[in-house]
Amino acid sequence: MTDLTTNFAGIELRNPVLLASGTCGYGEELAPFLDLARLGGIVTKTITPEPRAGNAPPRIVETAAGMLNSIGLQNPGIDAFVQDKWPYLATLDTQIIVNIAAPTAQLHGAMAARLEEVQGIAGIEVNISSPNMKDGGMLFGCSPSASREVIAAVRSETRRPVIAKLTPNVTDIAAIANAVEDGGADGISMINTLLGMAVDWRTRKPILGNVTGGLSGPAIKPVALALLWKVRQAVNIPIMGLGGIATAADALEFLVAGAAAVQVGTSTFVDPGGAADIVAGIERECAAADITRVGDLVGTLRV
Amino acid sequence: MTLTRSASADVTSKVVATTEVAEAFYQTRLRVPTREQAPVLTVEPGQFVQLQPRPPEGVYPYLRIPLSVSAVDEAGGIVDVLYEVVGPKTGALRRIAVGEDVGFLGPFGNGFPTPSTGATPILVGGGIGVPPLIYFGTVLRAAGTTPPILVVGARSKSKHLPDGLLDSASHDVRRATDDGSLGHAGLVTDLLQDAFGEGHQAPVVYTCGPHAMMAAVARLCADHKVPCFASLEEYMACGIGVCVGCVVERANGTSQSSPYDHYARVCVDGPIFDSRQIAW
Repeated sequence: MTDLTTNFAGIELRNPVLLASGTCGYGEELAPFLDLARLGGIVTKTITPEPRAGNAPPRIVETAAGMLNSIGLQNPGIDAFVQDKWPYLATLDTQIIVNIAAPTAQLHGAMAARLEEVQGIAGIEVNISSPNMKDGGMLFGCSPSASREVIAAVRSETRRPVIAKLTPNVTDIAAIANAVEDGGADGISMINTLLGMAVDWRTRKPILGNVTGGLSGPAIKPVALALLWKVRQAVNIPIMGLGGIATAADALEFLVAGAAAVQVGTSTFVDPGGAADIVAGIERECAAADITRVGDLVGTLRV
Repeated sequence: MTLTRSASADVTSKVVATTEVAEAFYQTRLRVPTREQAPVLTVEPGQFVQLQPRPPEGVYPYLRIPLSVSAVDEAGGIVDVLYEVVGPKTGALRRIAVGEDVGFLGPFGNGFPTPSTGATPILVGGGIGVPPLIYFGTVLRAAGTTPPILVVGARSKSKHLPDGLLDSASHDVRRATDDGSLGHAGLVTDLLQDAFGEGHQAPVVYTCGPHAMMAAVARLCADHKVPCFASLEEYMACGIGVCVGCVVERANGTSQSSPYDHYARVCVDGPIFDSRQIAW
């Protein structure tokens, strides 16, 4: 038996597999297909200070080995989240990390303060990386100083672990990682989606209503691994790896490349029960390889 | 009228047969294993399934194909889907050999609401939107209530589904083609207008087809104060409500307590909507 338990930035995880923000709603929709107690945790869909309608459709389109999305953070807002979504999440026997985004650093801080009143939240993931948010998200995450400012604002308002979710759409992701570490982040999750576009040449129109969107799925796994490796060497805080993870082998590759835990994202759209299979697969593979603690694999890449 | 939902399954089905029923239109018959907790496979007319026409370890095509169901044999665990081959995913489904696997997830979404006692159901389908109406018509006929009228439109005769399939859904099938190669030369709305003029008792319209066709049907129904339920389609990823990708805009004036409710999800809030609830 391999010990799958992991501590990520102070969050005790049953195993290193979580569901990524935006791919598991607020938990309830997936429950018929997946026993969430089998997972290390889930990261809720991004909430913002006010409710948001999201972007005009079409919002998704399939691309080679993946998909583009331009959902645009449709969400009920923090008050409705606390009132309507949290009561169900609180019943789950797994760690719940709440993902937040806002138009200013101060509003990020105010959201963290509001969540401080809610019992049972394991950590805050800060979305400074959405490519579909015109007034935040990637706008912050492309600038080291803005990233540091947002994370510092959240840090000052919460005692909970703060995880900065990074965008790959930058020239030097290590500089952003250093900035969020400097701003007080306890951990990093990476990567959010890659900016992408799909075109219908006959109508000469973009397929997405928002023109561009975020690319996810198996197509982006090599990009995620390369950036993870780069950031691993730049910071001392733990990293949650994500980007195209669909199998146990994918997850193990991220652990070896330096991720202390992983998030399963788009794969859940295809295989809603798949994350539990990934946990089982990790256990099986580690046992077969005589690995006693899954943590022993983390960052063991031989270069 | 109540919208119903069936318990969904995540299983591996097997292809029983795939046949070409019209130009580029294929019917694939699947045998779906039943489970202990759901010994009978139940699919409401209008619900859809998410099929995965590739080995689970593959990555292309990646997302599942959401398809409506055209026939169900509950006791035999048989589900028919009818689709037009338009791209790599539908092409992949068509090429799966008899006896091979297709991932089967579903059924999902609501179904067509049952017509009130005495109401006359008029089913209006266009192109590849016809299949769910075939299943619905079959169920309505078996129920022994007022038999449905089926209005079917297609680009041309070669794109029309065969009589055998349409006749199972209605004894009163009315056909239209854009080019006049079969039936009425013109639009399904012309035939619907005619049907409204025949004085049927309490007509109620159910429609599935291209967006512009359904919008025209919804408009005509509104003009005649006839209830209309439309089966919508959007690009879809998960099918279970988590990705919020497959949205349609709700009509102005429908109850929206928050901007969060500006868009409805086709997969879980639909795919069947009262046409007055949608911003066409």
